[in-house]
Amino acid sequence: MHVWATFILGLIFGWLGQRVRFCTIGGMRDYYLIRDSRLLKGLFGFLLGAFLGFLVLKPFSSALKTFPWFLNGKSVFLAKWSTMGLQAQVHPLLPVPGDPISFSPNVVAHLVLAIIGGFGLGFLGVLAGGCPFRQHVMAAEGSISAMAYLLGFAVGALIFHKFIGPFVSSIFA
Amino acid sequence: MSPFWVGLIVGVGAAVVQAFFKVLPPPAYGVCIACHMRDLVNWVFIRIWPIYGVSEGVPKFLGADVSKVLPVFTIVGILVGAFLSALVNREFKLRSMKFGPQRPLSEFFIGMGVMVSALLMGGCPLRTALKSAYLDLTAIIALGMILVGVIVGSEVLKRSA
Repeated sequence: MHVWATFILGLIFGWLGQRVRFCTIGGMRDYYLIRDSRLLKGLFGFLLGAFLGFLVLKPFSSALKTFPWFLNGKSVFLAKWSTMGLQAQVHPLLPVPGDPISFSPNVVAHLVLAIIGGFGLGFLGVLAGGCPFRQHVMAAEGSISAMAYLLGFAVGALIFHKFIGPFVSSIFA
Repeated sequence: MSPFWVGLIVGVGAAVVQAFFKVLPPPAYGVCIACHMRDLVNWVFIRIWPIYGVSEGVPKFLGADVSKVLPVFTIVGILVGAFLSALVNREFKLRSMKFGPQRPLSEFFIGMGVMVSALLMGGCPLRTALKSAYLDLTAIIALGMILVGVIVGSEVLKRSA
């Protein structure tokens, strides 16, 4: 089911995003360089839509029971830690699982990764000329530079999971 | 249609796929470019080269739990959707940058760097925004750091131009 749902959402996003040149990093860049807020409003729209979506749909779906995360994410960590035999306090800053040290109780490590990753993403994103989504759209529009970016993107994922991710989790273990 | 409405529609869509179409765990995973690309690439690569997925002697899927059996297809959808849109509106044109950081070769390495940065904090700018909307406080800090990175990068571009 998730295959079709994400495919259709991607199809809509790809089509509409191509029409309006949706770009998150481009929005921040345009606002900073030329005070043009057109694309930045796209990012705000996304934040607003997702927040309202989560808020309104929460009573109708058990899949949203961990929203808002800093209050209700606690149970996820406690359940995971009890299977690992780990005793720790849940800090409200602990992020949604996804970084290489997903269920670690070490808040400082999560923050360090968020700060390094966020800065790298912003800096390299501006050099590349757009956020990852915009690069996908440009590749589909025929930009060979963006196709090379996509290739590097895929290779980066393989390298990350084979070498960098295990290395990072071994540092903070 | 303006970027604001597109963002709003996709934001609501990301909440809907999590609420009713089982796009979890992890939560706040409805839209992400880096993570979904990672899931797709690793899913395919493990089938081509099974040794790749073996860590400490056990086969393991490297990616989000939702993609273990079948991967998420956002990336394919975006590429097809944007391609059709470009074709219908006569905007498809093969082109390439000849100099600067947007040459194909340097874009390849920038792409690698962006993927590594994104996976370090568990998401591209879009998923960071989605996690912020899910009220993950660390993601809000990460979103602020993306802004700092953009400002530094813009200054670098301005000085070198």
